[in-house]
Amino acid sequence: MSAAATGSTALLRLDKVVKRFKTGAGTVHALDGVSFFIRRGETLGLVGESGCGKSTAARLVMDLYQPTSGTVYFDGEDIAQADKAAKKARRARLQMVFQDPYSSLNPRNRVGRTLEEPLIIHARGARKERHERVAWLLERVGLKADAAERYPHEFSGGQRQRIGIARALALRPDLIVCDEAVSALDVSIRAQILNLLLDLRQDYQVAYLFISHDLAIVRHMSDRVAVMYLGKIVELASRDDLWRQPRHPYTRALMAAIPCVHPGRKRKEPLPLQGDPPSPLNPPPGCRFQSRCPFTEARCREEEPPLQARADEHWVACHRAE
Amino acid sequence: MGEFLAVRGLRTWFHTRGGVARAVDDVSLDVRAGGTLALVGESGSGKSVTACSILRLINEPGRIEAGEIRFKGVDLLKLDDRGIRHIRGNRVAMIFQEPLSAFNPVQTVGAQIVEAIRLHRCVSRREAYARVVDLLEQVGIPSPAERAREFPHRLSGGMRQRAMIALALACEPELLIADEPTTALDVTTQAQILRLLKTLQTAKGMGLLLITHDLGVVAEIADRAAVMYAGRIVEEGPVSDLFTRPSHPYTEGLLASVAIDDLPPGARLPEIPGMVPSLLAMPKGCAFADRCPRASRDAGCFADSPAFAPVAKEHRVACFQARLAPVYPLRVEKNDAASDAAPALLPPADENVMAVA
Amino acid sequence: MYLALLKELLRNRSAAAGLILLAVVIFAAALGRVWFAGDPWEMSAMPMIWPGQDMENPLGTDVMGRDMATGLVSGARVSLLIGLSSTLIAALAGITAGALGGFYRGWIDAFLMRVTEIFQTVPQFVLAVVLVAIFKPSVATVTFAIGIVSWPPTARLVRSEFLLLREQEFVLAAHTLGMGDFRLIVTQILPNALPPVIVMAALNIATAIQTEAALSFLGLGDPNVMSWGTIIGNGREQVVDAWYICGLPGIAIVIIVLAFNLLGEGLNDALNPHLKER
Repeated sequence: MSAAATGSTALLRLDKVVKRFKTGAGTVHALDGVSFFIRRGETLGLVGESGCGKSTAARLVMDLYQPTSGTVYFDGEDIAQADKAAKKARRARLQMVFQDPYSSLNPRNRVGRTLEEPLIIHARGARKERHERVAWLLERVGLKADAAERYPHEFSGGQRQRIGIARALALRPDLIVCDEAVSALDVSIRAQILNLLLDLRQDYQVAYLFISHDLAIVRHMSDRVAVMYLGKIVELASRDDLWRQPRHPYTRALMAAIPCVHPGRKRKEPLPLQGDPPSPLNPPPGCRFQSRCPFTEARCREEEPPLQARADEHWVACHRAE
Repeated sequence: MGEFLAVRGLRTWFHTRGGVARAVDDVSLDVRAGGTLALVGESGSGKSVTACSILRLINEPGRIEAGEIRFKGVDLLKLDDRGIRHIRGNRVAMIFQEPLSAFNPVQTVGAQIVEAIRLHRCVSRREAYARVVDLLEQVGIPSPAERAREFPHRLSGGMRQRAMIALALACEPELLIADEPTTALDVTTQAQILRLLKTLQTAKGMGLLLITHDLGVVAEIADRAAVMYAGRIVEEGPVSDLFTRPSHPYTEGLLASVAIDDLPPGARLPEIPGMVPSLLAMPKGCAFADRCPRASRDAGCFADSPAFAPVAKEHRVACFQARLAPVYPLRVEKNDAASDAAPALLPPADENVMAVA
Repeated sequence: MYLALLKELLRNRSAAAGLILLAVVIFAAALGRVWFAGDPWEMSAMPMIWPGQDMENPLGTDVMGRDMATGLVSGARVSLLIGLSSTLIAALAGITAGALGGFYRGWIDAFLMRVTEIFQTVPQFVLAVVLVAIFKPSVATVTFAIGIVSWPPTARLVRSEFLLLREQEFVLAAHTLGMGDFRLIVTQILPNALPPVIVMAALNIATAIQTEAALSFLGLGDPNVMSWGTIIGNGREQVVDAWYICGLPGIAIVIIVLAFNLLGEGLNDALNPHLKER
C-alpha cells in the first residue's frame, strides 16, 4: 500500500520522512510524512509551489538536513546510520545541481579548481589525470577547455549552470538532485540545459530527482511525477498516467495554470484556484488542500486523506478520488 | 483617436568603466489607448530599462541619450522635474516584480496608499482612506478594511502583489507599466493576477505596457507584442499574428523553446544555440546573427544592422531574411488543447472580484 | 588577483590618498632611522628649542632637551608596530571566534557571542587601561591589551558573514561533495568572508594607534620606548609656551589615522565592486 513498500530495491527511498523547523514565529511543517522512491536510472519529478517542501526534500536526500523522523535510504541503507567513511563514499554517488547559477560557484576559485575539488576530496587520480578529467568534463558540458583558467564571474548564467552540472558529474554519480536547476535561466538557455541533462541521462544512465515548480518541464523530464502541496505528496504517478488522468484537484489546478503559448487555443477554464497557499507554519486541519479546494466537504476538514494507490503505481491523497 | 504613448528612437546607454553599454538602442514602440503591449525579452535585453526610461527612472551611470517619449502629445523627456513628478504615479503608474520591496516595511499598506493618493490629489486623509478600502476591494483582497491596517510583510505574496496593483491604481492612471508583475509568484497565483490585471484594464480603459520574459503571459493578456533582443526591438505585431507567424528567427526560436508540451516527453528540445552577446561587445551587423540559423553573409547579416520593415499588416520585423518561411511552424489546433490539458472541473471564479466598473 | 586589487586601489581616489600618506609616513620613519638614529631619550641639547631655530635639532627639542625629530621617528615605528600587531591579534581572535560561531551555530555560537558581549559591554579604553595596569607596561603587553579589546567587532562581522555564506549554494555544494568542516571553512567560506574584515582591519589599525597614544599619554606605555603619546604627555604642561611639543606628534597621529581611514574606505570600494557597477 505504501508508496515506499514497492521500492525496496530502489536507489533512493524516503520512508515517512518528517521535517520540522523551529523558528521564531513557530514550527514550520516543511515535510510531513513524505514517502517516495527512485529506481536506478529513473527520473522522478517533484513539482509544487514555493513552500511546499520540495527543496527541503532535496536537502534531506543530500544529507544537508537530518529528518525529524522517518528514514532516507540510499541503495538500501539508512543514510543516518552510516559511519563517516560510508557517508563520504555515498556523497560521491549522490550529487546535486543547484538553482542559482550565481551563488552555486565559489566566486574566488577558478572553474578548474571548482571541478577538480570533488576529485581531490575523493582521491581520484593523480594531478595529471585530474586535469584531464576536468578538461573532459568541460568539453562534455559544452564549454571550452580554457574555461578552467577563468573565474565564475566571467561566465553567463547558462554557462555557470553548465559548470555546476560538470561538478555534479565529476564523480560519475548514480543520482543527481536537480533543485530548480533551470528556473533561473532565460528560456532560450533553458532548453540548452535541459537537453544537456537529457543527454547525460542517456549516456550515463544517471537517475535524477528533478525538482521544479514548472509542471510542463517536469513532465518533459520525468518518468514519474510526485505532486507536493504543503509538505505532503498529494499525487504520485507515472508521467503519462498523471497527464491522462490527474486525480487530485490540486494537480488539475496546476495543469490548468500552465500558461499556454498558443493564442489560438487559450485555456477556457476560469481561475484555477483562489487565494494563496496557506503558510506551512499552521497548515489547515484535515486535508491540507481543503482551504483552496473547490470540492471541500465536511470530511476533508476533519480527516486527513492518506496517500493511497488508486491504480497501478498511481497514488492519490484525496477523499474524493476514485 | 490620436496617439497615446509613442516612444521614438529611444536610446538609453550606461556609461560603465568597461565601456558604453547600449542597453536600449533606437527603440520605438506604441501603446494604444486601452490597449496592451507586451514587451518581451530575456534578461539583459533592455526591456526593463525601456520601461524605466519612460518614467525617467534611470540612474547614473545610465543616461537617456536620444529619443522622444510622447505621452498624449507631451514629450516626457522634455518635462522639468516637477512636470515628470506630476506624471509619475499619477497619470502613469508602475508595478514591479517584487512587491515586498516596493512597500515601506514600517508603514501599513493602507497608510502608503493614502500617501500616494494625497501626493497627487487634494483630499482629506479620511476620504483617501475610504478610497483605499475601495481600491483593495477592487483588486480582490478579502476584508479590505482589515488588510489596510496590516504591514506589508504580513500579507502573502499574491496579496502583496494585489496591494501593489491597488497602490498603482490609486490615482486612476491612464497608463500602467507592469514590470514582470507575476514572475515572483506561484503558478496558481500568477493566473489570478493576470486575470485581475486584464479585468481592471478593460474596466478602467487604461493602456497597459507589460514587461515580461514569459511568452505564456503574453499570449494570455496582450493584444500586441514587441520582442526585444540585445537592446533593440526585433519584431513587433499583433499577438495572434506574431505567435502563429513569427518572422524573426529569434521570435521563432523563443516560441519553439517554450512550446514544450508539443513535444513527446523526453525528446530533445529545440534550442537557440550560443548566448546573448555582451552589450559591451556587440557584434557588427545583426546582434542575433551569431545564433541565427538563417544568417548569411550574402544577405548582409554580419555587416549591417537590419532595418525595421513591415511583413504583414501591423507586423514589422528587423531581419534581412524575414521573408523566408518560418523554421518552426506552429500548429494552431482547433480542439482547444482539451485532449491533453486538465478537464475543466473547477467552478467559475468568484466574479465579484471583477465587478469594478 | 592581488595585482588587480592594487590597481583598483590606485584608481580609487581615497585609497590612493591613504596609500600615499602611509608611504610618506613609512618613508619618513625609515629615512629618519638613518638621519636621526640617536637615542630618543638622550638629552642632547638645550630644552625647548623651537623647530627651525637650530639645524642640529631641526624640529626642536622638548622640555628635557631631547631631540623632537628623533622622538617622532621612534614614535612612528612604535605606532606602526603596535597598530599592526595588535590588529593582527584582534583579527586572528575575531576570525577564529566568528568563524566557529557562524559555522557551527548552536551552543558554540551562543557561548562565543556571550563572551564577545562581555567584552563589548566594558568600555574598550577602560579595559585596555586595566589590562596594561595589571601586567607591566611594555610594548608586548600594550599590543596584547589593544588586541584583546578590539577583537569583538571583528568576531561579530565574521560571524554574520559566515552565517550568510554558509547558506550559499557553493558552500552546500562543497559540503555535498564530502568536504570536511575545516577545509570548508578555510577554502570555501573564509576567502569570501575576508574582504569586509580587511576593511575593518585597516580602520582598526587607526583606532589601535590612537589607543596606544592615549595609553602612553597617561603614562601607561612602555617606559623604554618613545611613542607619540609619550611626547604629548611630556609636553602637556608646556602646551602654552611650546605648543609644538604636543602639536607635532599630534599632527603625526592625525596623518597616520587619516591614512588608514582613507585606505579602509578605498579598500571597501575596491573589494565591493558589485556595489559600484550597474
